[in-house]
Amino acid sequence: MRIRTLTALAAAVVLTVAAAGCNRGSDSDSASGKGGGPPIVVGSTLSLTGAFAATGQIHKLAGEEYVDRLNAAGGLLGRKVEWKVLDDQSDQAKVAQLYERLITQDKVDLLIGPYATPNILSAMAVAQRHGYVLPQHTAVLAPQLTYDCQFPAWSIGPTPNKFIPDQLFDALDSLPTPPKKIAVVTSQSGSAAFVTDGFGDDKTGVLTIAKDRGLDVVANVHYPPTTTDWAPIATQVRDADPDLIISNGLGVDAVNLVQAMKQLNYTPKKMFALFPAPGPLLALGAPADGILSVSMFEPNKPILDKLGAKATEITTDFTKRAKEAKLPYTTFETQAAASWNAWDILAAGVTESGGTDQRKMCASLHDKGADTTFSGHLKFDPKDHNFWPTTQTLKQIQDGDWVTVWPKNKAAAPLK
Amino acid sequence: MNVVQATLSGALIGGLYALMAIGLSVTWGVLRVINLAHFGLILIGAYLTFQLATSWGIDPLLTLVVTVPAMFVAGAVLQWIFDRLALTEFNSLLVSFGLLIITIQVASNVWSADFQRMDATVNPYATESVSIGRLVFPVTTLLAFVLAGLVVLGVHLVLRRTFAGRALRAIAQDRAVAGAFGVDHRRLSLLLGGAVGATAALAGAVFSLSNALTPETAYEWFGIVFAVVILGGIGEVVGTFAAGVLVGVLSGVVSVVWSPATAPFVLFSAIILALLLRPRGLFAMGAVR
Amino acid sequence: MTAGVRGAVVLLVVLFGLLALGVFGPDLDFPSFYLVLLGTVFFWIAQTSSWNLLSGYAGYFSFGQAAYVGVGAYCTAVLTGRHGVSFYWTVPLAAVLCGLLALGIGAVAFRLGSLRGEIFALLTLAVPFILSAFARINGDIDGGQGTIVPPPEAPGDMDFQQFQYLLALIVAALAVGVSYLVQHSRAGSALTAIHDDEDVAEVLGVPTFRYKILAIVAGGMLGGVAGSVYALQIGFVTVESVFGLTIPLFVIVMAVLGGRGHWLGPVLGAVLIVVLQDRLSSYGLDSWNAIFLGAILAILVAAAPAGLYARLKARPWVALIAFVVVCGVLAIVNLWGEELDWILAGLLAAAAAAIVLGTRRKPVPVPQQAAPEPAVSTVEDEPDDVPPVGDVVVECRNVAKHFGGVRALEDVSLDIRTGELIGLIGPNGSGKTTLVNLLSGTFRPTQGEIRVGGRDITRLAPHQIAHVGVARTYQIPKPFASMTVRDNVATAIMFGREPMSLRAARPLAEEHLATVSLDHLADSYPASLNLHQRQLLETARAIASGPKVLLLDEALAGLNPAELDNAVRVVRRIHRSGITIVIVEHLLRVLNQVCTRIVVLDRGTKLADGEPRTVMSDPDVVRAYLGRQAHV
Repeated sequence: MRIRTLTALAAAVVLTVAAAGCNRGSDSDSASGKGGGPPIVVGSTLSLTGAFAATGQIHKLAGEEYVDRLNAAGGLLGRKVEWKVLDDQSDQAKVAQLYERLITQDKVDLLIGPYATPNILSAMAVAQRHGYVLPQHTAVLAPQLTYDCQFPAWSIGPTPNKFIPDQLFDALDSLPTPPKKIAVVTSQSGSAAFVTDGFGDDKTGVLTIAKDRGLDVVANVHYPPTTTDWAPIATQVRDADPDLIISNGLGVDAVNLVQAMKQLNYTPKKMFALFPAPGPLLALGAPADGILSVSMFEPNKPILDKLGAKATEITTDFTKRAKEAKLPYTTFETQAAASWNAWDILAAGVTESGGTDQRKMCASLHDKGADTTFSGHLKFDPKDHNFWPTTQTLKQIQDGDWVTVWPKNKAAAPLK
Repeated sequence: MNVVQATLSGALIGGLYALMAIGLSVTWGVLRVINLAHFGLILIGAYLTFQLATSWGIDPLLTLVVTVPAMFVAGAVLQWIFDRLALTEFNSLLVSFGLLIITIQVASNVWSADFQRMDATVNPYATESVSIGRLVFPVTTLLAFVLAGLVVLGVHLVLRRTFAGRALRAIAQDRAVAGAFGVDHRRLSLLLGGAVGATAALAGAVFSLSNALTPETAYEWFGIVFAVVILGGIGEVVGTFAAGVLVGVLSGVVSVVWSPATAPFVLFSAIILALLLRPRGLFAMGAVR
Repeated sequence: MTAGVRGAVVLLVVLFGLLALGVFGPDLDFPSFYLVLLGTVFFWIAQTSSWNLLSGYAGYFSFGQAAYVGVGAYCTAVLTGRHGVSFYWTVPLAAVLCGLLALGIGAVAFRLGSLRGEIFALLTLAVPFILSAFARINGDIDGGQGTIVPPPEAPGDMDFQQFQYLLALIVAALAVGVSYLVQHSRAGSALTAIHDDEDVAEVLGVPTFRYKILAIVAGGMLGGVAGSVYALQIGFVTVESVFGLTIPLFVIVMAVLGGRGHWLGPVLGAVLIVVLQDRLSSYGLDSWNAIFLGAILAILVAAAPAGLYARLKARPWVALIAFVVVCGVLAIVNLWGEELDWILAGLLAAAAAAIVLGTRRKPVPVPQQAAPEPAVSTVEDEPDDVPPVGDVVVECRNVAKHFGGVRALEDVSLDIRTGELIGLIGPNGSGKTTLVNLLSGTFRPTQGEIRVGGRDITRLAPHQIAHVGVARTYQIPKPFASMTVRDNVATAIMFGREPMSLRAARPLAEEHLATVSLDHLADSYPASLNLHQRQLLETARAIASGPKVLLLDEALAGLNPAELDNAVRVVRRIHRSGITIVIVEHLLRVLNQVCTRIVVLDRGTKLADGEPRTVMSDPDVVRAYLGRQAHV
């Protein structure tokens, strides 16, 4: 009796799956190119579930918005663009497998990268094998990205481990009382640790640069990404009494650290967070005021005005879509801008080379670069692994929002 | 001073660990079910607290009035499913894993995969603390510690002093014989499942007070919770509490004295040692089994 | 052809087919995506099959598969990525490292801690956490940053997918091959015995520690090699990607779903789940993927708790027909999906069909005779001669056994000579079973020494004591539930003093079954036997190892008079064949009839020892049994 109920349930599940698959099948059949030829299919994976899903969603929305706008403006080379995005579940093995499928089975015309450095590296290997151009949004450790036809949408230059500390310290030097004692708190993760410890044989990082500049590192703590108890770290930082806390971490690490310090009744004088999830820090309220971070783009009015009406439209539309998707943080900022750049690069490759031939696209991108809405004209030099001269800025939480504050010529408000 | 504060903070957050672990430990010890879906219940409890507090604008702790009964029912239903299926211990692990996967996906569909965190205006507790001299007791973990203590005390008393408690211990030892003595294991296990669900609601609520939530957070709890269950002894209620505190303190002290990176290394090595020396749990006092 | 050989043939055929696919596929325009998908399937087959060696066969569930994958992957990643070592060298090195790791875990868990069941599982859970913390702390490994794995040169003019595919295939074939060989060897029987009842196996002569270590090390090495190849597949190794909990959880899911006791089970599970996940992800139902997966998982495990393989084996034709029909119909109609979808649908349909129809069990051949077996009565007239009493075979000197404060045995000295049939009696709690446990090695004496055949056995492991010549039965029979009656006895012979294969042991087993008149039930499973038959099985198993001394622990409890007479006849028959017997009993009338000597224990000390008649009328003995007020 029980077995029969279970099997009935199972049958129901199977049928539902079948029905859904049916749906899916008919969907891909109905993709018709209205004039101009068959649609151009762009394939990629994104982490829509799993550890990286929190940010993966942003890239999905940004990509969808881009494709819609592109098609509304006539598509690419007069053809409609379709984006086939699959969920890689934040699993590297699946990334490799799915990209192989997109290329060999679904025979997509173009590729765009997934989210998160490990996944991007796995995808890059596949793209390289098949000779596809791969614009990717967020892998910034230039030495790792060895494929010629990989094009970064977010660049911190060829040596990000040098650029970031330099930029930060330069900015802080412009203050009336620059910090002298610093505490460095680092997540042992590939996407963050390089800023502190350098990468491979290149040991340049916050620690060495601070020493070179005569700053005193009063605390140096490394923590595993799985940390749940922040009190010990906060206690160490508090007791070191630094002028500046550098939190080289991801996601909500900075939030947890600030919270733990607040619980100890300690307010940091100045704090920098490397790649925080932007929303949760804002939700922390007053204790998060003044925190600095790196940015590629913030939709601050002065900046938008400089970029033009199109940029403003894009950011507003994104916010609308994000609200519909029930995202808690709906601002179009660095991550979305990186996504936008990647699509701009892809589109530029197609239009400049006049087609979807991967080799021609790669060559043309190297020769002519790409025009992007939010980062201007990008030049790709294979010597630097295509990492264009960075336009990175620093942002700061002021009055409950992220504002670009450095360098001065790009700032929307002064650094506090 | 650092070490003292780390010990204190560790002990308090150990209360949260214990609160999460008790449910898993008791169902494992008494009902012989390894219920991974318990993590799903904690997750939903946390999300519900977040949602109700944010939507209704009430104090997060007040949401317990809704979440505890809701999770009680959920826990009882879950237990009912396990009873009907009459699975072996390890098979219950797999079925509950399937249920956990479903729960996490549902959470993702409803609340998106992005970080959800109660605003400071809704949740004043995140950064508050009680100070005694230089020593600080963060409110959120203090709450967890107190709740855990109450829950443990309550469960311990129930198991020792009430008929239902004795009946549960009898079931844990030999279900068939207990049945022969008139103990209806089905009703009791539903009750237990519900109680465990209620503790999940508490744990989830406390967790959401000081953390941002994503659906994947449920997986992040595995390591710590299983560590506590191992050290405390499967099914040992008071032992679980003590183990939670121990895990928190050990991690905290190692983090301060050595480095946070070394803490998991020391902790899990200690667990292996503990398993060798006292396999039934460091604090096994022959409570349930 | 036996099922085993058939299986091997099919395996080899499939292997060659897959090899050919890999080598010639691209030339024949075979979509390379399938090579990649198969590569993933092979990875999981390798992991699940290696996991199955210890956890499936022997029942020691391990949650630590990630440890081997991680060590293997990191070995390759760090050596090739950071030190430029050729990939091909890293694979055997990974095997060695993982083997050592497994050896360490096994030594600690099995020897030091004698950990079983869930405690063992929890210990293995802790290992990946330790290793991942270690990798993060250690800057030489990667300090948490992750390591790129440069792809090696593919030999010949193979492209990378082919190369990957063939590597993964070789590793998977290795794992399945080892799985198959273990199952069909003595190791397989040993592991099954350990799974069913480890203590009994040990006492029967199975060196349980040795086989468990063998299983864990083999599983570890295979897992490590598969991890090595996995590093190539993902191209960039981080702590999270190889030491995470996802891999071990899914390994367990696949292996248990497929059926953990047979080499084919994990293969089935891996194929089903990988194809299922692939299909789910391709439908673009992102927000429903996991829900379907979780639901199917929960349903399948609940419906087929012993695994799909068992169900498919019970109804092979049903399953095959369901598969072919569903697959074929979908292919012909061609309205929906692609080949993989049809295959998946076919697989699910086959599983469902086997499960639903398989619940109607074929009526097990119930032994026609009820309790009093007429077969037994045919050997009524047996000669009544008693074998002569010879030299001392068992010597106990001042043996004591304390359990904490409880003194179960105190200063017991006893000599047992060959040819004797000693009755060991005493009130409850007098220490009879404890003495049997000491003699068979289940416990070590707290004080004193015990010699069997001149050898001091106090330091020996139970399986060594079995080889010296002591066998015992249990008060509540403990047969190996997953083996047939014949195989139960054959196991004892296989691991007796003369090691031999299962095939050689089976005919000998039948002889022993004949001694206890159980040969007509040789193909049944213990679950279908009644209490008396189970006791006879116990006895047959005990004498199968050719012991010098047989200890019968309350072998006559719970029998009706006819069964009792039969049992006594069996005991006499065994005694006549030259085995010395010590029988722990309460039934004085039986002991009077049968024993040459009676030893009485009371509260841990020897109260009386001598001829049955003398001992029975000893007033101390009477008082011990009936209380101080009794008169006889």
